[in-house]
Parts: sequence; C-alpha cells; structure tokens
Amino acid sequence: MRGFWIKTVSLLGVVCVLAGYDKVLAAREKDEEIARLNARVEAMEEFLCSNMGTQAEEETEKETKMDSIYADGEWEGEAQGFGGPVSVKVTVEGGKLAQIEVLSAEKEDQTYLSMAEAILPAMRQAQSPEVDTISGATFSSQGLKDAVMQALEKAEK
Amino acid sequence: MERKKFHIGNLTARQRKKLHMWLRAAVQLICFLFFSSAFTAAFGGVKYIAVQLGAGEKVEWTGFTTALAGLCGFTIVFGRFFCGFACAFGSLGDFVHRVYCQICKKFRRKPLKLDGKWSTGLSSLKYFVLAAVAVLCFLGIYPRLRGSSPWDVFSMICRGNFQLAGYIPGIIILLLILAGMCVQERFFCRFLCPMGAVFSMLPVLPVFSLSRNRETCAPRCSACTGRCPSDIQLPADGSYETPGDCFQCQKCVDTCPKQNIHCQGVEGLRGNEAWFTVVRSGIFIAVCIWIGI
Repeated sequence: MRGFWIKTVSLLGVVCVLAGYDKVLAAREKDEEIARLNARVEAMEEFLCSNMGTQAEEETEKETKMDSIYADGEWEGEAQGFGGPVSVKVTVEGGKLAQIEVLSAEKEDQTYLSMAEAILPAMRQAQSPEVDTISGATFSSQGLKDAVMQALEKAEK
Repeated sequence: MERKKFHIGNLTARQRKKLHMWLRAAVQLICFLFFSSAFTAAFGGVKYIAVQLGAGEKVEWTGFTTALAGLCGFTIVFGRFFCGFACAFGSLGDFVHRVYCQICKKFRRKPLKLDGKWSTGLSSLKYFVLAAVAVLCFLGIYPRLRGSSPWDVFSMICRGNFQLAGYIPGIIILLLILAGMCVQERFFCRFLCPMGAVFSMLPVLPVFSLSRNRETCAPRCSACTGRCPSDIQLPADGSYETPGDCFQCQKCVDTCPKQNIHCQGVEGLRGNEAWFTVVRSGIFIAVCIWIGI
C-alpha cells in the first residue's frame, strides 16, 4: 500500500503545481490587460484633446484598402493535411481576410483538427497565412495553412 | 429437448482460455479501428504541457490534455487496461509477436527471445524516453525533429497516408521497434513507451488488481511469471500493491494450473473475468467518446 500512497501524493503534487502555474499566469495576464486598457484610455483622452485623429484614421483605412492585394469574394483552396486533403473557404471583404472556414477534412483526426483550427483566428488576426503552426497538431495546421495560401493565390489581383 | 444454458463457469479451462483470447482480440480490433489515436492524443497532452511550460504559456484544456486526463483517470481506477486491450501500438506489438511465433513454429525453429536479465534492465528505459521527449519539448527543439518520430510514421500509415519522404529516421526506428516486438512480447510497451512510463507512475486503486493465493500454489511453480509479458511476480493475497508494469492482460489468470490468481478487491469476479473485460471495454469506449477521441 505504501507505493500507492507515494504515487498518489506525487500525482497530487504535479496537478497542484500545474494548477498553481496557471493561476500565476492568469493573474499576470490580468495585470497586463489592465495596464493595456489604461494606456488605451490615456491615448483616447489625448485623442479627444487634440481632435486631429479623425482624418488620420480615415487615411489609414484608405491605405489598407489600397494596399490589399486580394480581390473581394469567396476563394477555395486545398492542401495535404495529416491523413488526406483538407479544403478551406476564405472570404475576402474590403480587401481583408474576413472569414476562413474548413470545408472538408474527412481524413483528419477530430482531436487534432480541433487543435489545428486555432490557426484560423491567428491568420485572420495577422491578416496573412504566414503564422506559426500549432505545436502538437503540426500536420493538420500546416495543411490548413497551405490550403489558405492556395486560396489566397487565386484571390490575388 | 433441453438446451444447456451457456455459463462461463461450465466451460473447461481450455475453452475459457480460448474465449478470453478471442475476446481480447475482438476488443483490440475494435479499438484499433476506432480509437487508434488515443495513444498519440494522450501523449500529445504530455508534450503540450512540456511545450507550454517551456514557453512560459498557460496550460489550457485542449483536446490533448483532456485525452491525457481521461486515460489517466481510467488507468487509476482500472489499471493499465488501456495498454493491454486498447492501445493501437500494444495491439500492433501483440500481432507482430504472434505472427513471428507462428512463423517460427511453421519452420520448426525456436523463436529468439530476449534474455531475462536484459529485459529487467531495459524496463527503466521508458522513463528516459519520457524525460528526453519532455525536455526536448520544454526547450522547444522537438518540433524541429519532425520526421524522426516512429509514432508519426505509424499513425500516418494507419491513416493511409504514404507520403513518407521526410520520415526516413522515423521509419528506421519503427522497423527496429517491430524487430524488437518479435523477440520480446510487448517490447515497446515495456521498454520504450513514454505513455507507459506515465501510467506506471500513476497510483492504481487496488480494487481490481490481481494477486495470488500463495499458500495453494504448486511448489516452485512460476507459470504466471513465465506467461507474463512483463515477467511480473504477482503479489500474494493481502498485499494490495499493483505492479506498475502490469498491462492487465489477464493471461496469468488462465495460465495458473490451480486457478489461484484472482482480483481480491471484488471476489465475485473470479471466473467471470470475461464479463469484467466486456464491462471495462464498454466503459473505456464511453470515456473515449466522452473526451472526443
């Protein structure tokens, strides 16, 4: 029975360490979020004072529109994932990657695919398919990445 | 005409052994076909935790960590039933070993076998494998070693994906493991499996663990240890220790000439091991579906 108790205590120890680690990180993240929001509030206050920003903002928006190399529309792409082909649909609106969805990935493993799909919001945020693959689900996320790249090649003007 | 009611208790020892063998093969086949990624998903959880710790990122509940927690929970209650009956790599090992032994029998050769001294020493190798993979993940080197993982190669072949050009090191390691599986039953599980290292460090509740009634053993009989793929000497009744290397394959139960081996936590299981296997498989499948493997 002694071995059993030693193992139990070690397991509880590992679980507690992981939980504590997450708690610390969560607290740190919260602090950073507060600092970030504070900075934003300050920036806004400054912006209200100067009242000059409106024009500048419009300009940047126009610029992004001008810069975009992608034509609006829905574009489909396909590439090799882990077990077979995966295909995606990229929606470009106003020159921006507005939406990316997986059309089919029949041969991918469900657990891996659900992990790999985290790459889609990352690409939307970066407005580019050039983002890091998801570690642990490298193959499936690489497949999604390649498929999006292929779709965007078609979308290029 | 009176039909004889089917009852496991009425079977001869030989029939019972056959029944258990076929039942195990059936469970292994089902799990191989439908839950073959359970092992890689759970091990993915271990790697994910190491990667996140190394990068200073949060460890969140992903598909991988859920699979890891689910399998660990199952093992704590039922022992390493997953290893014995459900793991795709374990089933592959059983299959390869069996085919090798059959071939040897056909050609009237004695199958090669790993020496007992070697196998005892090699048993701790799996802890080093686990530690090495964890350290590589922690340092962020592991993703760069893509192509050398035998598990990737195996699961790609299972999925029918044969684009293995960049996987030469992985293929070589897999072939070496297959060769090892021939000469030693459960070669991979016992010596190399990092998930096995995790499982054997888990506390297993002593409810369903096996033990033997030493007093009624035949003198100097060691049939159970000889049959055991891990060469375990089972604890005597009264001790609730569960050997970490026990895969719960239940082969010892059928081998004992005196039917001395039993589960002391639940005495009613004696002679009804087949039903218990069915129940455990059912619970395992339910857990897999629940955690989304």
